[in-house]
Amino acid sequence: MTSLTSPQPPAPTVALAASARGLMKSFGRDDTLVHALRGVDLDLPAGRFTAIMGPSGSGKSTLMHCLAGLDQPTAGGVTVAGQALEGMDDDTLTRFRRDHVGFVFQAFNLLPMLSAAQNIWLPTELAGRDRERSLRERFDGIVETLGLTERLTHRPAELSGGQQQRVAIARALLSAPAIVFADEPTGNLDSSSSAEVLSLLRQSVRELGQTVVMVTHETEAATYADDVIVLADGRITERRQAAA
Amino acid sequence: MRTVILASLRTHTRRYGAALLAIVVGSAFIVVTAALSSAVRDGLTAGIGEPYAGADAVLDRPSSGDAARLLAAAPGDDADAWLVGWTMQQVAREGKVIDSSTDIAQVPDRPAHRWQDLLDGRFPGAPGEALVDTNAAKAKQLALGDRLRIGTGSSALEVTVVGIADSPSNHAVASVYLLWSDLSRWADSLYVGSLAWSGGGYDAARSAIRTVVPDAEPTTVPAFLQELQREVNNGVDIIQVVVLLFGAIALVVAVLVINNTFTILFAQRSRDFALLRCVGATRSQVLRSVRLESVALGVLAAIIGVLSGLGAGYGLVALVRAQWPGARLGHADVAPAWLAGSAAVAVGVTLVAAWLPTRRAVRISPLAALRPDDSTQARTRTGRIRIAFGAVMLVAGVLGLVAAVATANVGALAVGGATVFLGVLLFGPILVPALIRATGPLTRRLLGPAGRLAAGNAVRNPRRTAATVASLLIGVTLTTAVLTGMASSRSAVSAEMDEQYSIDLTVTAQGPLPADAVDRLAAVDGVAAAVPVPGAVATIDDLAPLPLLPASADGDATVLHGALPTPGPRQVLVPWDLLGDGLEVGDVVPVTVGDRTRELRVAGGEGWGEAALVRRTTLDALAPAAAVHAVWLRAAGDADPEDLAGSVEAIAAPVDAGVENGLAKRSYVDLQLDVLTGGVVGLLAIAVLIALVGIGNTLGLSVLERGREHALLRALGLTRRQVRRMLATEAVLLSLVATVLGTALGVVFAWTAVRALVQPAIDGAGLVLPWGQLGLVVTIAALAGLVAAVVPSRRASRIAPAAGLSLD
Repeated sequence: MTSLTSPQPPAPTVALAASARGLMKSFGRDDTLVHALRGVDLDLPAGRFTAIMGPSGSGKSTLMHCLAGLDQPTAGGVTVAGQALEGMDDDTLTRFRRDHVGFVFQAFNLLPMLSAAQNIWLPTELAGRDRERSLRERFDGIVETLGLTERLTHRPAELSGGQQQRVAIARALLSAPAIVFADEPTGNLDSSSSAEVLSLLRQSVRELGQTVVMVTHETEAATYADDVIVLADGRITERRQAAA
Repeated sequence: MRTVILASLRTHTRRYGAALLAIVVGSAFIVVTAALSSAVRDGLTAGIGEPYAGADAVLDRPSSGDAARLLAAAPGDDADAWLVGWTMQQVAREGKVIDSSTDIAQVPDRPAHRWQDLLDGRFPGAPGEALVDTNAAKAKQLALGDRLRIGTGSSALEVTVVGIADSPSNHAVASVYLLWSDLSRWADSLYVGSLAWSGGGYDAARSAIRTVVPDAEPTTVPAFLQELQREVNNGVDIIQVVVLLFGAIALVVAVLVINNTFTILFAQRSRDFALLRCVGATRSQVLRSVRLESVALGVLAAIIGVLSGLGAGYGLVALVRAQWPGARLGHADVAPAWLAGSAAVAVGVTLVAAWLPTRRAVRISPLAALRPDDSTQARTRTGRIRIAFGAVMLVAGVLGLVAAVATANVGALAVGGATVFLGVLLFGPILVPALIRATGPLTRRLLGPAGRLAAGNAVRNPRRTAATVASLLIGVTLTTAVLTGMASSRSAVSAEMDEQYSIDLTVTAQGPLPADAVDRLAAVDGVAAAVPVPGAVATIDDLAPLPLLPASADGDATVLHGALPTPGPRQVLVPWDLLGDGLEVGDVVPVTVGDRTRELRVAGGEGWGEAALVRRTTLDALAPAAAVHAVWLRAAGDADPEDLAGSVEAIAAPVDAGVENGLAKRSYVDLQLDVLTGGVVGLLAIAVLIALVGIGNTLGLSVLERGREHALLRALGLTRRQVRRMLATEAVLLSLVATVLGTALGVVFAWTAVRALVQPAIDGAGLVLPWGQLGLVVTIAALAGLVAAVVPSRRASRIAPAAGLSLD
């Protein structure tokens, strides 16, 4: 995989983990045409915790899917970790995701037939990197930080919702991806588990220097973020820096 | 509720596709069987009375001696007698054997009684003329004017084909018909099915027959035909029952497939059911709606099954009639009762298969609809009762098999085998996942993470996996049991045949053979060894002169497959077909060569040609200067029995030597075993086919269920090809486990069957494993597993990562 130097944007003062230019996405055709994104320009600086907020149907999940290379935009371009995603075929995109992107979803994060440890190792295993020594050390560190040491042999069905999300976070962090996307990570959790998961995400930004982008509709959750972007009807309506 | 039922049928029809196919195949099989057996019955009974037209009385199965005496007596009585019977003889044309065993029958002397339908030429009017069946003529390319040599040795007959005929009755058909004056030379080896007598009405015919054969019990023609018809019907009924047995096996497999389909579908729809309960449907309303759904499925399957069965059945019969007129198939006529039966079976099977899953489906509480979807997390536990029950069945079944071996009882064998099998099925949810886990290290090494995910997927729902495997297990177990049993029987039979036909070809002459005969025979292409046998022409009691040979000749080890029977010092072995009618086993008779005579005790035997066998010392005493009277030949391994017989006949005929072809008899038995094995495996293939549809079905439904999981895997970095490979591996794992387990069971069953059934009949029969065939079964099952995975894995890999995640 050759690293492309992206020609378009003027040299940014801050390193960018991901950026989008003129992003459009529509679904259906003719009568049923729905515009989920109507031209989004966005820069996500590295090493920060960004929250994308907005009501249901505002297009925030679609934006995340496009940024993460899970879905192809109708128009516009996305650059992640310095590489333009457009034009990549499915296999290249798949490999790119497993090398550079981590995910934490709202629900259905873990494979039911694998143990917690196996779930955490899965992406690196798919990439054939699970025998790297440095990763083994990082694994031990992350598992300990997330308090999962005792839970590694358990299957998802034997874990609480909060524990399941912690396993998902560990999985997302293990390969030290350029960017971690979290889609409503606290959607199914009670308030104390929510607080715990959000703290862990913020901790990973502060202490491990990760870039985390979280999609949420909970104002409470957004307070943990460094930057907040508000979306409505497929457009960015507000950008603010949370408490510095 | 009607709107709900209709809507869910509309929505889920495609998911029922495989279950539908399974029932359709099963019920169509029943209709096809009925169509074929009705056509066979029609073919066998059509024109059954024609050969007896004009007869006043019929004698059922007289001995060949009685028949010959009656035929000789009839003209003197101003009556006519003719017989429906056959002798099997070699037929050659221009020195080439065209068939080593052809059925030769009689054409009646009187034109009025000639029941054959003449198509071309004329009926034989004088000795040396033959009538040939039209299908035999087509198959062997015989034409009017052809010269045929029928039989071998001194009884061989040269005839000219003067007519081509068809037989109105399948029951009396033969390839070649001769006048009695020609046919009578083989009276000894004639099998007489019946003898017709015409002249003076039944009473006169009866008394005329009883004057010649005092204890004969002739019947009237209608009474005889009624009995004949009954026998034919019974024969067809038995075949029909046997074939339907395979249909039943296929339907049992279909039950498993449908049951699995319903179980999976209802698990996926449990939230729908719960929602229905939430909005006010009672438990019995939900139950009724899902039951009606299964009835609708069964009715649809019954209609499609009956119609496609009719199409396939009538089509098959029409095809066979057009392509192979020699098969003498009649018209298909499926009775409405069969159609109704097939439809009832289809609906009944569906209901039975859906019974348990529907009961489980309605047990769901309304609250389940409000809880987050965790249907994929469902882990079923194997009940203790089930395991205990399985263990009891296993023990009881093994005891049954042991009893079967000890008592050689077929019933105990069948019951014991079925019980063991049920025990294994009950253990399935433990056994099958354990076997799949055992392959884990291998699949992981070969296929990496995709392989490990596949093994994990295959065992996550042990009951579903076990049910899927069970459906294939049935077919594979029966197939491998049949293959192994046949291979074992074949080796036992072939050992028996080595004893019975220990010489491939014998050339036996009524006088000394020319000096160069042995060398010329040894030089024939396809002859591996030739041994000259000394002998002398002897007169035994009042039999026609017969060569007398020693039971052992110098160097005979190079030609013998098994040992020839050893006559005692005062014994002579006479071919079976010369015994009876005056000379019986145990008689002490004078055996004369020239001016020397010995009193010897008669015993029967066969396998050394048309000659009598004595001890070497007896022969030396009777004929001190014995010349070569016979040559025994060993065929090369790849020699064609008929070509070889033709070449040997070309040398033997000019010196008036008879050829007996043991090789052809052995290969005929081999062929019969091959046909039997092929037929049984072909019929079992239907059950295997349904099971493979079941594997594809389980996988397809699992793919629907795991849509979000596949999307997650794709998001986390599994490529499309890896998703396909993962599902293909899962299917191959399932089919391989079923095949390996089925093969093991099949071999065990075959072993007990050989011990219980073959060993008592044939000494020293042991288990013979047909490694090649068993390997083929495993390979085919693995490939079929791959094929079954094609559609589901394509669908799974097409899922877009984002689309899958937003499914809810």
